[in-house]
Amino acid sequence: MDLSYTPEEDAFRAEARAWLEANVPADPLPSFDTEHGFALHRDWERKLWEGRWSAVSWPEEYGGRGADYLKWLIFEEEYYRAGAPGRVNQNGIFLLGPTIMEVGTDDQKARFLPTMASSEIVWAQAWSEPNAGSDLAAIRSTGVLSDDDSEWVLNGQKIWASRAVWADWCFGIFRTDPDAERHRGLTFILVPLDSPGITVRPIAQLDGDTGFAEIFFDDVRVPVENTLGEVNQGWKVAMATAGFERGVSLRSPARFSATADRLVELWHEHADSSDDALRDAVVDAWMQAEGYKLHTYMTVTHMIDGGTIGAEASLNKIFWSEMDVRMHELALDIAGPEAERMDGAFERWVDGFLFSLSGPIYAGTNEIQRNIIADRVLQLPRGSA
Amino acid sequence: MRFAFTDDQKLFAEGLRDLLAKECTAAQVRAAWDEGIGHDFALWNHLAEMGVFGMLVPERAGGLGGDEVDLVLLLEELGRAAVPGPVLETAAVVAPVLGDAATVGTAALDGSPYVPHAHVASLALVPGGFVRTDAATVTAVDGIDGGRRLFIVDGAVEPFSYDEELAFDRGAMAAAAYLVGLSERMIDVAAEYARQREQYGRPIGVNQAVKHLLADALLKVEFAKPAVYRAAWSVAFDEPTRSRDVSMAKAFASDAAYRSSRSAMQVHGAIGYTWEADLQLWMKKAWALQRAWGDANFHRRRVADAVL
Repeated sequence: MDLSYTPEEDAFRAEARAWLEANVPADPLPSFDTEHGFALHRDWERKLWEGRWSAVSWPEEYGGRGADYLKWLIFEEEYYRAGAPGRVNQNGIFLLGPTIMEVGTDDQKARFLPTMASSEIVWAQAWSEPNAGSDLAAIRSTGVLSDDDSEWVLNGQKIWASRAVWADWCFGIFRTDPDAERHRGLTFILVPLDSPGITVRPIAQLDGDTGFAEIFFDDVRVPVENTLGEVNQGWKVAMATAGFERGVSLRSPARFSATADRLVELWHEHADSSDDALRDAVVDAWMQAEGYKLHTYMTVTHMIDGGTIGAEASLNKIFWSEMDVRMHELALDIAGPEAERMDGAFERWVDGFLFSLSGPIYAGTNEIQRNIIADRVLQLPRGSA
Repeated sequence: MRFAFTDDQKLFAEGLRDLLAKECTAAQVRAAWDEGIGHDFALWNHLAEMGVFGMLVPERAGGLGGDEVDLVLLLEELGRAAVPGPVLETAAVVAPVLGDAATVGTAALDGSPYVPHAHVASLALVPGGFVRTDAATVTAVDGIDGGRRLFIVDGAVEPFSYDEELAFDRGAMAAAAYLVGLSERMIDVAAEYARQREQYGRPIGVNQAVKHLLADALLKVEFAKPAVYRAAWSVAFDEPTRSRDVSMAKAFASDAAYRSSRSAMQVHGAIGYTWEADLQLWMKKAWALQRAWGDANFHRRRVADAVL
């Protein structure tokens, strides 16, 4: 065990910090869930890519730096410390990208990864359906092979598709063998959102932005080369992707550490320091963020040693999502009457609070995560009542 | 940066776990309680032979010359088995202060008027020095944990200069590690019970309300662990954040142990409220140690003093 950084890690941190200081926009960009904000965030992603910072943990041949998970964590710490913009292509770079590297063909890697790293193509996810939320295996959207087996013909409806309003492509799972048991017979397919037969209908979120959408598929045709992984093995592929989402790759600790630091600043500036209950709550939030960081460093060392994370990822997901809500609740407590204002000095905290409330729901609700922990880590009897 | 234990450290902990599975069963812990001694001399000798008490003692003084990172997993194993007697006090606090692994020692550095284990320890480390128990009046009070007997010790303090803050931090870190082990055991025992116990014709563990009780406890334990390991590292390398890191660990571990005890007892139902169920051996130890060496509130405030 050595919890200090090596000179090489320090040098990497310094390089990232210098680049970010020189390049991060001085003013925060408008939300990427608006048309203008989306375009500006795509420009920012391109800039990151030009500096080879958009996908640091990817191999160099696809535009990354081949950084190990530890360096990736260091980059993330610097990224959020610098107050850099949110990652508009996170569905691609952090979820689909690693999945393609794991199960994709060489052709698919060459075809999709470079344009993903540069955000020339921004990806949306299309998993949930109106009747397949927590019970994702209840998917009804279908994929049927064309007569000459060269194309999938897709029909059905996806919902809660993040970034779909302005994204270029989406990835999702479709029922390709209607006779198979629910978890079988699904195939993971990549679809251009400008394909004929696709209708995207934005859904306004709690915060008023349109970060997600419904996608309707009406005889949409895509080549079979867009199949990721084996036909009818889409569930396994999707679970690998979901593992990335719940695990380390989407929710690095740096984001929460930055929020915790801002909360501490807020407490110093605005809170009544004689309020011991509030002081205890604020330090508890700081400790949660620090604890999450330590837990991630331990997980990442385990992965560097060749270990994998399975159901443990569900512990992470519950922890960060509940911590994020807690930190924002406390900020609004400190804001007092200003917490009611959407356009005041605490705007970022109010927006952040609304966004934090999505955390315990998306990527598998926290109730589902608790079931997963109980069933797979604690080995309690399966089936739920 | 490398946040992992070495193979040797893991093997040592596994060896200790195997030993305790044989030599410190729930029946043996219960026997130590029932006999009123709250200690197991035979087990103590096994632990001494293995080197547990000498981990923080230099090799030239007959110890293993290790550090707190080497010790922390062992403390977790001691907790997992609810080993009775002054094990953490001797191994983590008294042995490194005296530079001697042979003395059975205890400590009262957390402001409590009671000295645990004073009837079996030959000396008690106190602020400003130590008290020899054979030259003091030692009066028993009735403590909740039968494996951690409490005493009022009335005797002269022999002045002795040592780093009291470091000794306290070692004790709090050790208690935190012990609490993590206790928590894991309580969750294991409750999960096993939930697999076996049937109601409405199926195991109670099939119910989400039961699953979530245990998942919530596990969540707290799994996030306490890295904080405890980091605390051990910060003590071993005398980091400037040592006290902050120890306090974060103890606050997390105290909360995790209490949550685990409540979840485990609730899953057991009425059986969990009986003297007969072994669960009490771990729960009562957890309730004692969650407040010993500073409770969660004390430690949270120590973190606040460092951070806010």
